[in-house]
Amino acid sequence: MRRPVAVVGVGQTHHTSRRSDVSIPGLVREAVDRALLDAGLEHKDIDAVVVGKAPDMLEGVAQPEQFLAGALGANLKPLLRVHTAGSVGASTALTAVTHVASGLYERVLTVAFEKQSEGNVMWALSPNMPFTAPLVAGAGGFFAPYCRAYIMKTKCPPHIGPMTAANARANAGRNEYAHLREPISVEDVMNSPVLWDPIRYLETCPSSDGAIAMIISSEEKAKQGPRKPAWVKSGYSYAEAMWVPGRDQVSPAAGRICAKAVYDKAGITDPWKQIDTAEIYVPFAWFEAMWLENLGFCDVGEGWKIIDRGEQKFGAHLPINPSGGVLCSNPIGASGMLRLGEAALQVMGRAGAHQVEGAKIALGHAYGGGAQYFAMWIVSSEK
Amino acid sequence: MTGLRNVAVVGFAQLPIVARDEHRMATEMLYPAVRQALADCGVERGAIDYQIAGSTDYMDGRPFGFVAALDVMGSWPARQDLHLEMDAAFCAYYAWVRMQAGDCDTALVAAHGKVSEGEPNRVLNLQLDPYYQAPLGLDPTSTAALQASAYMARTGTSDRQLAEVAARNRAAGAHNAEAQVRTAASADELQRTPWLVEPLRSGYVPPVGETATCLILAAEGKAEKLCDRPVWIHGVDHRTEMQTLGSRDLSRSASARLAAEKAFAMAGLAQATDADFVELSSATPAEELILCEALGLDARAARPVLNPSGGPLCGHPIMMTGGIRLGEAFRQLAGRAAGRGVAGARRGIAHATQGHCLQHNIVWVVGSEPRWS
Repeated sequence: MRRPVAVVGVGQTHHTSRRSDVSIPGLVREAVDRALLDAGLEHKDIDAVVVGKAPDMLEGVAQPEQFLAGALGANLKPLLRVHTAGSVGASTALTAVTHVASGLYERVLTVAFEKQSEGNVMWALSPNMPFTAPLVAGAGGFFAPYCRAYIMKTKCPPHIGPMTAANARANAGRNEYAHLREPISVEDVMNSPVLWDPIRYLETCPSSDGAIAMIISSEEKAKQGPRKPAWVKSGYSYAEAMWVPGRDQVSPAAGRICAKAVYDKAGITDPWKQIDTAEIYVPFAWFEAMWLENLGFCDVGEGWKIIDRGEQKFGAHLPINPSGGVLCSNPIGASGMLRLGEAALQVMGRAGAHQVEGAKIALGHAYGGGAQYFAMWIVSSEK
Repeated sequence: MTGLRNVAVVGFAQLPIVARDEHRMATEMLYPAVRQALADCGVERGAIDYQIAGSTDYMDGRPFGFVAALDVMGSWPARQDLHLEMDAAFCAYYAWVRMQAGDCDTALVAAHGKVSEGEPNRVLNLQLDPYYQAPLGLDPTSTAALQASAYMARTGTSDRQLAEVAARNRAAGAHNAEAQVRTAASADELQRTPWLVEPLRSGYVPPVGETATCLILAAEGKAEKLCDRPVWIHGVDHRTEMQTLGSRDLSRSASARLAAEKAFAMAGLAQATDADFVELSSATPAEELILCEALGLDARAARPVLNPSGGPLCGHPIMMTGGIRLGEAFRQLAGRAAGRGVAGARRGIAHATQGHCLQHNIVWVVGSEPRWS
């Protein structure tokens, strides 16, 4: 990054299973309007727009950013559309960061959304490709073996997934925007049906309609804003090939490389000690333990122990997903940007009832593809 | 504008555009393009800092079509990466932005798509606003015909003039070994082809075609090591506008005009006619005339040479058509446009577009010398 970059506005919709009261442009516009209001800005203050979402099959509109240009306020502005599978919301925000860091743009609006009620996600994510056995039923079918492999490798006990899911719900109860906010107990999760062994129904993310927008700004413009911004200390997106013999799918090298890059750039040598809170992409409960290891918060095989000891709970040593995370709200294309946006809100001190006390440095993380795409940022209350 | 980094196009490879490659998947087509571009630069994949790919799921007929491309782009170990659901020309733009931010010095820009797997005209209907426009059954040919009608009504342009523009592109395409349509056709012949959607005749619209492409960009300091004649980016800008056909003057392209104005200012190019050649992503002769007006060009002038490659009328692989314009500009200025080189060319313009009726436009100005000292 050639110059400092800040987040000066964050706006999101309430996430829910069906927003039949708004069209796709209406949903997107709701988040955009809230982000602009948050930053005290208008469309005329925005130099460019970077938009992201997951596969277009989810809504049935090809390259929908084209018809959304008006709702995004992009008329006669530069507009880019990012798509990096599940990590897209995060890589979209990082693309906007680069735009400002380059010195070419002062303020960039970045938006991510999904209106999953328009289609059928499960089957949109179950392609029947030539030469490939059609064994995969949605993302859960794809990732269940990864979770099984983690359990076998680390001897992770069977209550860890349920504990993670129950904690996520407890967190979502403090987040007014979350989709699933009803408390659930470990027993509730244990008693819910297995969808894809070992993933149970209550260890699975919902299918949500939702959107988030952020205003990414130069330092000079950020100083003119009404509030204290979040400073982007570092941000990277990495991806790795699928078909590599010996590729570690449980703790992919791409994730470890990306985490090291963001830590190094931000001057973080001990993430467990130096990071105050993290929003990480956990679509199925078991992934929380897996990512704690992949992100270097602990050694391999130690991730589930952090959860077992409750050290990742709200108010504990390292609150993970104080917003409730993907397990409680999952508008797929927006989920990655929600992680980055929630991290920004934490260091701005503006996360409301789920504010982590004294949070100064936060990690936002997302992944996608066959655990191949990783995008992360470190944000700080200080430049 | 000061303080920008000099960045150059240092490599470009594409497969010949064909109606349908029966024997290869999109990734099998992309692999040789990536290998060729790297080989031309004399490096292996590890020498390139950043990668970005352009494709669209709907053209591939499946979600996450681009994920498989990671494997053939050499993404092991993990690479800094991005994928845009956009034409290669826009991917190249972001690689350039990234170099301006100082976040990379070299970038591989891949694009792919098996357009023949589906029916592009039906698929691209789905780009339209799903509430009001898509249900009308509009497709890219019918929306282009509406735009052509609007332009002809405003300017009095005749069917004959469209035929002449198409004939000029066809004559040039005959010299391009990678074009899909490589037979010249006279204006008389083209004017006798049947209407597809009036006022567009079958001779005024490209056939379905597919290929795979790979551009390599590098910043000053690296560029000279990768290419004996780097082609330097002097200026670039892109702008979109409203999709709704009724919300804009279809006879003009406001976004192309603004993008050109900004790109020319960055490049220090007083007017488009100061360039030696211009590659336009015009899928119909009417689009070419609208773009000429937006950029300030006379479509009948001898200089700058318009579409020395034959343009999209001689090969229009969706998601790559724009990237190929930038690739052609590279070849013209790097002395790699055998048989169709524009004599004495030192500066060129490359244009790309996306969406119905030229909704989103990007304009590049490139030259044989670095822009900033």
